[in-house]
Amino acid sequence: MRISVRTRGESFEFDCAEGEKILHAGLRAGIALPYECGSGTCGTCKAEVGRGEIDEGWLEAPGRAYVNPERSEFLMCQATARGDCAIGVHARVARLADGIPAPEAVAGRIARVEGLTRGVRRVAVALDRPVSFDAGQFMLVGTAAVAGRRAYSMADYRLPTDRLAFVVKQVPEGGFTDWLFAEDRTGSELDLFGPLGVATYVPSLPNNLVCIAGGSGLAPMLSILDHAIETGHFEARHGDLFFGVRAERDIYLLDRLEAYAGHEPERLRVTVVLSDVAPTAELAAAHPQLRFDAGFVHEAAMRHMTGRWKSAMAYLAGPPPMVDATLRALVTEARLTPSAIRYDKFS
Amino acid sequence: MSWRRVCATDDVDEDELREFKVGDITVLVANAGGEFFAYPPFCPHQETPLSLGMIDGDTLTCIKHLWQWNLKTGETRENAESPLLLYEVKVEEGEVLVNLEKELRYGYQ
Ligand SMILES: Cc1cc2nc3c(=O)[nH]c(=O)nc-3n(C[C@H](O)[C@H](O)[C@H](O)COP(=O)(O)OP(=O)(O)OC[C@H]3O[C@@H](n4cnc5c(N)ncnc54)[C@H](O)[C@@H]3O)c2cc1C
Ligand code: FES
Ligand code: FES
Repeated sequence: MRISVRTRGESFEFDCAEGEKILHAGLRAGIALPYECGSGTCGTCKAEVGRGEIDEGWLEAPGRAYVNPERSEFLMCQATARGDCAIGVHARVARLADGIPAPEAVAGRIARVEGLTRGVRRVAVALDRPVSFDAGQFMLVGTAAVAGRRAYSMADYRLPTDRLAFVVKQVPEGGFTDWLFAEDRTGSELDLFGPLGVATYVPSLPNNLVCIAGGSGLAPMLSILDHAIETGHFEARHGDLFFGVRAERDIYLLDRLEAYAGHEPERLRVTVVLSDVAPTAELAAAHPQLRFDAGFVHEAAMRHMTGRWKSAMAYLAGPPPMVDATLRALVTEARLTPSAIRYDKFS
Repeated sequence: MSWRRVCATDDVDEDELREFKVGDITVLVANAGGEFFAYPPFCPHQETPLSLGMIDGDTLTCIKHLWQWNLKTGETRENAESPLLLYEVKVEEGEVLVNLEKELRYGYQ
């Protein structure tokens, strides 16, 4: 099937396979169609059907709150085409820049599942073939057992790789996480699409890095810091990681956090922030290389970053309220410009 | 319709944004350091309520994809692709009056 897209600048055409999401077909063809979550919640991928018929897919998608059916709008990340279609996107759209890994569908199998703390697991996935991605990106991950695909950020950085690692937090009554946590899923087949996401680290970046993560939002920061350390980023620049969770028992990968903090102790600082129960003296004593603080992670970041914002690139990931609160603080208190802020809302 | 009372100056705190309804028209009022401005309620990008946005000096930022404008003129800053529409505003005796002669709308598609 042939899809033609009219945008606020250029027009494009691309092929779309039977059952393939229109967003995926366009991205696969190297057209940077707008999206954010890739999974039906944010509404960023909305478009308008001009000619032809589409199947909207998931009708209860929360992102449909942003579409206006009177204008024949739909979500490209959920919809498939029933035949040739002409659609309109109300945004400037370009071709994917050179050097950005083009997303593709790839099959995989769960190779290993490891508990990190209560309700958080590390899931290693063996892929059919190697993929490339930029640190900070995510994949859409699905299983035949659960409708739809969910976004999970790569929590390691190694390239090219036929093995990806994710950190998955259990969500109460969540479709995919209930399936994943119900029993040992080692060996289960997955279908993936990616890499996706623009909250990325690339080695040419001249900035100091400030990573602010809530809960499973730590995952993309792990790949960002892995890659930044590998390229020697902190030999010349500084970095800060703020990792917010509720209580001590929710902290995970402490050894990895300590390794980051030990890498360039003066230049790369790691602060763990507990929102519900203040960190104990024993916790701080047991991990002398880490800093601990209490309160909301964005508030702690504002306190610890005083005087350190110059030439910063901020990375944010976690639950939407945490990301929104941090965005507010970064724009109105730290006064970063939007181009110095990269974020993923784990919606 | 022309000049209509939308709210009292006390109804909107400094550097806050609030929506008000006047008849069928929803107006977003900004108090930027004591000066008042009025806009259609949605972001010109993707209809996110701008009441969720943020004010810093003379910059207004949408919370959704961080488009920014000069809140006094509506001109785009940095990453915004289209300007903000402004209503005419005057403040008289603690009341914010807005010229609602014609409802302002964005041509989304
Ligand atoms: C960019 C991004 C990166 C993320 N990275 C991580 C990460 O690294 N670690 C982590 O733990 N979480 C991450 N998340 C959150 C994750 O994608 C899931 O939302 C979360 O795990 C809950 O999934 P669930 O199926 O258990 O919950 P559910 O509430 O069942 O589903 C959550 C989401 O799945 C999609 N969905 C649900 N039903 C359908 C359906 N019928 N058809 C199509 N789609 C459906 C929707 O997007 C929904 O919001 C990320 C989210 C985003 C947007
Ligand atoms: S990208 Fe489609 S709803 Fe978020
Ligand atoms: S909806 Fe306001 S910036 Fe995108």
